Amino acid sequence: MQNNVRNILRKELRELFRDKKSLAMMLVIPIFIPLIIIGMSSLFESQMKKDIEEYHKIGMAYDMTEEEKSIAKELNIEVVEGSEEELKEKYEKEEINLYVTKNLNHYTINTNGSENSNYAKQLVETYFNSYKQFLQQKTLQAQNMNPSDILEIITVEEKIEEEENFFVNYVKNYGFLFIIMAITVSATYPSTDTTAGEKERGTLETLLTFPIKSKDIILGKFLGVSISSIITGMISLILCMISLMIAQNLFSIYEGINIMYEPLTICFAVIVIVAYAFFVSGLCIAIASTSKTFKEAQSALTPITFISFFPGMVAFMINLTTTPVLSIVPFLNYTMIFMDITAGKIDFLNITLMLLSTILYMSLVLKFIIKQYRSENVLFSNK
Amino acid sequence: MIAGILEPTEGSVNFDGLNYKENEIEIKQQIAYLSGNTKLYDTLSSYELLKMCSEIYGVPEEKAEERIQELSKILNLDHFLYNKIANLSTGQTQRVNIARCLVHNPKYYILDEATTGLDIISSQIILDFMKQEKKKEKTILYSTHYMEEAENICDKVIMVHQGIVIQSGTPEEIKKNTKTTNLRDAFFVMIGGALNAE
Repeated sequence: MQNNVRNILRKELRELFRDKKSLAMMLVIPIFIPLIIIGMSSLFESQMKKDIEEYHKIGMAYDMTEEEKSIAKELNIEVVEGSEEELKEKYEKEEINLYVTKNLNHYTINTNGSENSNYAKQLVETYFNSYKQFLQQKTLQAQNMNPSDILEIITVEEKIEEEENFFVNYVKNYGFLFIIMAITVSATYPSTDTTAGEKERGTLETLLTFPIKSKDIILGKFLGVSISSIITGMISLILCMISLMIAQNLFSIYEGINIMYEPLTICFAVIVIVAYAFFVSGLCIAIASTSKTFKEAQSALTPITFISFFPGMVAFMINLTTTPVLSIVPFLNYTMIFMDITAGKIDFLNITLMLLSTILYMSLVLKFIIKQYRSENVLFSNK
Repeated sequence: MIAGILEPTEGSVNFDGLNYKENEIEIKQQIAYLSGNTKLYDTLSSYELLKMCSEIYGVPEEKAEERIQELSKILNLDHFLYNKIANLSTGQTQRVNIARCLVHNPKYYILDEATTGLDIISSQIILDFMKQEKKKEKTILYSTHYMEEAENICDKVIMVHQGIVIQSGTPEEIKKNTKTTNLRDAFFVMIGGALNAE
């Protein structure tokens, strides 16, 4: 590294680590990640338990056999017995989640088809499948036939390579999306301070009189902001992984899910963090350097925080798949590839395209900033 | 522009036959620029700032340490050398600013309204410093609105009004040409009275 770039970088880092606000932006934002992961896991866990605890009151408008009672008990169904009229009234008062009526061998599940009765309906369907199987076995045995010869004439097995869990995916992706947002927030403050802030404090004029080329000044500043963002990204990643491991031990929604990341996955996650930190730092410096004041720069950079997070969130919600074209779309590429990597899907083509596009965008952005610093606007645009 | 902060859109700036466009770094290494707008980094101590400037100007480490201690004695920075600049008074800050200019022993000084807004002691420190450097045969380009200062320290004065040079020469020559006793009066004679000053 050239001496002058090193000198500027050292100055930038010294200022950064001595400024309480910069430090707070760099270190405090990642602390929200464990809160998000533990908080969301706890919310989903309680939601699941709520399904089991709240939607299991089933009304039966007929006399149940001992076998039926035993199956209901096994499935944790709270049976409410009574006449059809009584149960209908209870259902309307929401005292039970649904009720079943019987006419000879024909059973009717009575619900209003609402979202709330869906879990109860699934539960009753499981109950009837078990009861049907019990009756089929009993009938076949009475006719001296082996039930498995008939009932298991074919067997179907579902083999799941890696168990997908909606709740866990949701928590994981939001955790990793927050890392991207934390990096962005961490880049905005130092980039404002090092450009518009220096201009406002009058130190930029001093800096420009030094025998240092504009490109070395920009490179030093750019590396300073990037290092700050990378530190935030690394702390966030570590906290995210630790939080997921803690959540796995605390909550049953993580049962059967592999949270431990392979070293290769971690390496690629780090690559995405570094690439994004460079990209967003350059972009923030470019935007802030055109601003007249510190406040104006902060206002100009506020939308970047949302832009960094929003496309990735939408992509996750609509289940968008990463393609080579999407791998070069700024912001979206980092979040999508980051989510892919943490889900164990490593696509070398997409990662390479993301890295190449980052280099291209960074060069353009740095060229723009250097041009900006050679123009008199950098000092006198506010006069 | 002559301090190398901005690039000229037309023409060129030359120092000792060197052109800014091709020899920006070499020229800047020979220059010290101080103005009312050149502020210092609050988060650094005076020592750290001087050390940083020495490194930027390429002063060897052993020499830099020696130079900082020397300047600290000359400008009386000793008792606050390791304090953060944010905690210094305006006068102390300006002394550090001068030390920053001296650390690489430059050939040329460009001082742009360096005493504007300063208290009498701080501005006197700057004027004394200029006189000392003049004795060492350094070139000082000093812009000021205070005619008394110009008369007191300058060998040659160029008067500029509304972007046009209206008079130049030694203070004595200007006073003689305008038949006045001081540069302030000379200026008003040249522009035709105070009402035409705007």
